[in-house]
Amino acid sequence: MSEKRDLAEAARALLHQRKGPLTAELVRTPGGFGLGQVPAERKPDATTTAVCGFCSTGCGLEVHLKDGEAVGLSPARDYSVNFGMACPKGWEALAPLKSNDRALYPMLRNEKGALVRLSWDAALEAFVRRFRAIQEKHGPDSVAFLGTGQIPTEELAMLGAFAKFGMGMVHGDGNTRQCMATAVVAYKQSFGFDAPPYTYEDFEESDVIVLVGSNLCIAHPILWERITRNPHQPEIVVIDPRRTETAMAASLHLPLAPKSDLTLLYAVARHLIARGWVDREFIAAHTTGFEEFAEHVEPFTLAHAVEATGLEEDAIKRLAQLIGTGKRVSLWWTMGVNQSHEGVRLAQAMINLALMTGNIGRPGTGANSITGQCNAMGSRLFSNTTNLLGGRAFESASDRADVAGILGIPVERIPDRPSLAYDQIMEGIHSGKIRGLWVVATNTAHSWINQADAHDLLSRLDFLVVQDMYTSTETAQRAHLLLPAAGWGEKEGTFINSERRVGLLKKVARAPGEALADFYIVKLLAQAWGVGELFRRWSDPEATFQILKELSRGRPCDLTGVDDYAMLDQARGVQWPLRAGERVVPQSQRRLFADGRFYHSDEKARFLFDPPRPVPEATSKEYPFVLLTGRGSSSQWHTQTRTAKSAVLRRLYPNEPYVELSPDDSERLGITSGEWLVVESRRGKFRARAHPTHVVRPGQVFVPMHYPEANQLTFPAFDPHSRQPAYKHCAVRIRRLEASDQV
Amino acid sequence: MVADVSTLSPARPGQKKDRVRLPLVQQYLDEQQRLTAVERFSQRHDAEALGPGARFYKDLLPLEKPGKGQQLAFQVDLDACTGCKACVTACHQLNGLDGDEAETWRSVGLLHGGTPAEPVQQTVTTACHHCLDPACMKGCPVGAYEKDPVTGIVKHLDDQCIGCQYCTLTCPYEVPQYSKKRGIVRKCDMCSDRLAVGEAPACVQACPNGAIAIHIVDVARVLEDAKGEAFLPGAPSPNITVPTTTYKTRRVLPRNVVPADFHRVRSSHNHAPLVMLLVLTQLSVGTFIADLLLDKLAGAESVDIGRQYRSVVALAMGLLALGASVFHLGRPQYAFRAVLGLRTSWMSREVVAFGLFAKSAVLYALSFWVDPLSALVGVKPPPVSLLSTTQDVLGWVVAASGILGVFSSMMLYQVTSRRWWGAARTSVRFALTAAVLGLATTSVTLLVGGFFDYTMSGARVASMSLMLPLGWVAVLKLATDAVILFHLRARGLGELKRTASLLVGELRGPAGSRAVLGALGAAVAFLLPTQPALGTTALLIWLVIAWGLLVGGEILERTLFFRALSSPKMPGAIGP
Repeated sequence: MSEKRDLAEAARALLHQRKGPLTAELVRTPGGFGLGQVPAERKPDATTTAVCGFCSTGCGLEVHLKDGEAVGLSPARDYSVNFGMACPKGWEALAPLKSNDRALYPMLRNEKGALVRLSWDAALEAFVRRFRAIQEKHGPDSVAFLGTGQIPTEELAMLGAFAKFGMGMVHGDGNTRQCMATAVVAYKQSFGFDAPPYTYEDFEESDVIVLVGSNLCIAHPILWERITRNPHQPEIVVIDPRRTETAMAASLHLPLAPKSDLTLLYAVARHLIARGWVDREFIAAHTTGFEEFAEHVEPFTLAHAVEATGLEEDAIKRLAQLIGTGKRVSLWWTMGVNQSHEGVRLAQAMINLALMTGNIGRPGTGANSITGQCNAMGSRLFSNTTNLLGGRAFESASDRADVAGILGIPVERIPDRPSLAYDQIMEGIHSGKIRGLWVVATNTAHSWINQADAHDLLSRLDFLVVQDMYTSTETAQRAHLLLPAAGWGEKEGTFINSERRVGLLKKVARAPGEALADFYIVKLLAQAWGVGELFRRWSDPEATFQILKELSRGRPCDLTGVDDYAMLDQARGVQWPLRAGERVVPQSQRRLFADGRFYHSDEKARFLFDPPRPVPEATSKEYPFVLLTGRGSSSQWHTQTRTAKSAVLRRLYPNEPYVELSPDDSERLGITSGEWLVVESRRGKFRARAHPTHVVRPGQVFVPMHYPEANQLTFPAFDPHSRQPAYKHCAVRIRRLEASDQV
Repeated sequence: MVADVSTLSPARPGQKKDRVRLPLVQQYLDEQQRLTAVERFSQRHDAEALGPGARFYKDLLPLEKPGKGQQLAFQVDLDACTGCKACVTACHQLNGLDGDEAETWRSVGLLHGGTPAEPVQQTVTTACHHCLDPACMKGCPVGAYEKDPVTGIVKHLDDQCIGCQYCTLTCPYEVPQYSKKRGIVRKCDMCSDRLAVGEAPACVQACPNGAIAIHIVDVARVLEDAKGEAFLPGAPSPNITVPTTTYKTRRVLPRNVVPADFHRVRSSHNHAPLVMLLVLTQLSVGTFIADLLLDKLAGAESVDIGRQYRSVVALAMGLLALGASVFHLGRPQYAFRAVLGLRTSWMSREVVAFGLFAKSAVLYALSFWVDPLSALVGVKPPPVSLLSTTQDVLGWVVAASGILGVFSSMMLYQVTSRRWWGAARTSVRFALTAAVLGLATTSVTLLVGGFFDYTMSGARVASMSLMLPLGWVAVLKLATDAVILFHLRARGLGELKRTASLLVGELRGPAGSRAVLGALGAAVAFLLPTQPALGTTALLIWLVIAWGLLVGGEILERTLFFRALSSPKMPGAIGP
């Protein structure tokens, strides 16, 4: 009987099968560990939290582990940065590790020009022999390095210390020059130390939020989340030439003419003074230079600003009123400010507005730089490039003595002159001063401004060493020696995020082939160079963290209150400063300058300003359009060496380059949506599909920076104080693609 | 893990290469492979089921179960959606979707418009709308879709699916995703087992701005709303399937908003097995009907010429077509399930009709070979009168089931609500294909029959008498095919204008070839009767050439039927 029933059941299932192996593939099961349901195949047996390795937001990611290895991840819900949320890059953080273009072994370029595998020992030997030969012939400063904001602080410190104290290099810089240098210099000059004063909770505490050159919804979606959690119905002002996603979500959008921002902010300052919306008490007690500033902004009348910015007078007045009468006003900036030919003064114009209205040091206030890379902040303090370790100065004998003492190295090993900046290193290659270059975890050949020139320069080097996760980056393709690096998730260390929170990375995946963490690559190189003894105490990342703590002691970025990695893990990251003996409660929010004391010797903040300068490359009859560049989507990161490795992320952005232009312009030029255009500057041209949209205004075009071709167009102008490239403005022309075009 | 610094000696310029791996290198390589997160950092959570996340989404879920006349639905707050696309990746990760195939059940599109002074862009997140009248379910030939009677969630039974992909054509929202690896489609189930335990669906959990919620809708209200066509600008009409998702906004979207991919006109998938199925079944049915009509209407003696070959050729083509269609299935071994959906699915009806057609056609064809077959087996053939009656009945059954099959084919495409596949256009298309290829095949087989049966002159006359009708029908077919090009003059970029512009743009190669083949075939048909001096062999060759041209033309035409399709869809993103 039951056999019969079984048979009937089997026949029924053959005809109508409700369950089976295919259904089982998608079964979800309670994941435990507070995760909710997870795919049954990937049910973890443990979890651990690691800070994300893409942008500076520094989200906590809960890595799902099985036998110690990552099988999945989800945003950490008890992490006070992201509260259970992540952008697509974070969700897909494990995918780039599995790519088939990972660098597996050291590779050396042979006589035929091909990269061939060699042993680590031979690679170390080649590194030492080639760079030594260059240095012996052309001097120690003829070899330079270009670092990154993408690797942990301990690795950056190890890299910078070995390069400068071990190899005798003088010049080293990082890709942070491309994103953060302006904020660094602006803060250093205004506050006396590179110290973004805020904590993310300020997004939730403000009643007026002013975003300048910042498309938060796309570039930092989790920080936008923090704004959506603000219970005070804040006024949100976006100052940006484009009607970005963030501008759409704002309560006031000021679509000013590109690079008229400094004039606008000075006019706002003048209007604040005129209306008496200034905090005289705060200015007198905690700042210097206000009177000169007031005099400086006197010519910046509303009429002048209207003319320069193309905005309505009422809109400018409204902005001033919001800043002047808001109780808790916070001003935030990102790359629209940093990547400008006058970015430092622009950032300082925002700092000035915060200072003159007393909007600093209180919840919901501040002049706040939103950083770009996951460890730009760690790089700023400890990469040993522009600054000597711990935000010190190479020129200062006492700083050098400090560092020599703490590290136990001879003081003469520390260069007494500052490094050339990125653009000057590139210029040094051009002039023949720099003959050897060591590029770590960055993609110069894609990202450097005026790319054709960068390609030419890299090809002139006697020896180019590239240390990267991938063999396929534009820069790795040009390397003489390629050193295979482990990536995020394959190593330990710490990142410092935009709000100065030191977060921990975990080792949850095995690096492929013979790839090694950058920390250990540099350790091996130090041994091979014969200076291993100098770094005897730098035995592993955590031991190095202890050294960094010592380097921070008594400085604004004091970390001596952090015991060890376990404490960072328990506290879900710790914001600096945390002095020895101080304790944090988990998820605490720490902001600077509550006491109004700044880091200059007189403890006062400075009002700093300059007259606006004309744009380096104005539009002309020949090149009538302004080229704006920026983030294309939340699923893309910089030069895409990692984000392009996730099939899912690839579905979330256009695979072909596109250019946004105003429908007014496209109609005038007879351009139809989706057709191929040539976008051309005096330096290069590339083809992109037309996307007519009112998001950009007539006379402007926008190209996402992720496409390698974008930087063939950009104009190599630099902020004179920060040497940061001005990616956001150059003159171009557009036309339809002709059959004869070789683009 | 303190490394022994003495294990690696410094290299010097000119020093001989050390080929032995140094111990320190090996030590670091070993260290690199050791995973340390668990041992070094103890896990911090207890194993509570829902975890601390619940507090973030409790406002985004309904408090109770849907009652009678209600169901669950997505609600999207457009004002909160800022286009980060976390929902897409969260759904992918938390549901364990296929990474290699980049499987996604949610997508984010973009609307834009306005004026230079007041520009507007609006990102739109979308997934399955768990429709009141799910076209995926209605079209499914195997009953692999179910609409939950309580929640209204439209679920897909993965193990029941045979991979026919018909649902990817019936759903106006591109919801069912075909997995080549598995040979089935999969789709969003609103994370129904999460909802069952009070946990939010992955997308709801993951939206940083809380833009996606689950709420209860009244069925009557959804039906009422569908009448208004105000579902979402740029989206397909809600009248097709009555989607339950609500898009809400406080903004007034300007009247000129269009999806970011509005101007993108791209060809669709080329379903080669379906092309063969359609063309060859229509050829087969057309031939059988032509045969029947000639027999019944013309009543000519000469019609009998080559009938045994004709029926075999028609049958062979029909069987080839049905065989080819199996290649379209992701899991052909379960093809037998395709009759289950008879109640709602035109695909099941097509399968049943053509099944009957094939069986009766086999018998019908065999009936013309009764004499030789009887001799072969050594039995006495049945009486002529019985045979002839049987042939009559079978002939009508074959024709009727064939017509039913072709009608089902037409309905199968018509119900997808694609305008290019509309009833009138598709009926004319399929009927004329049957007529052209039926006449062409009949005329060839008449002449072939003449060869074998030594009735050449009669065969030649009969065959040539079909040439003029064939030529005119072929011209009519070309003309009706070309009617779509009038839509090039339309102002708006509607579905049919997209199709027309594909035919003169991206697909102008195959479209041009189609026209040339059809025209040449018709020309040969017109010219052959004017060449009485042509030898029989040459005539047969020319007839076969004309047949080949016309069949080739129809295959290209049917390829374009699929490739030039422009489907309505949810707003897409910028660029390809």
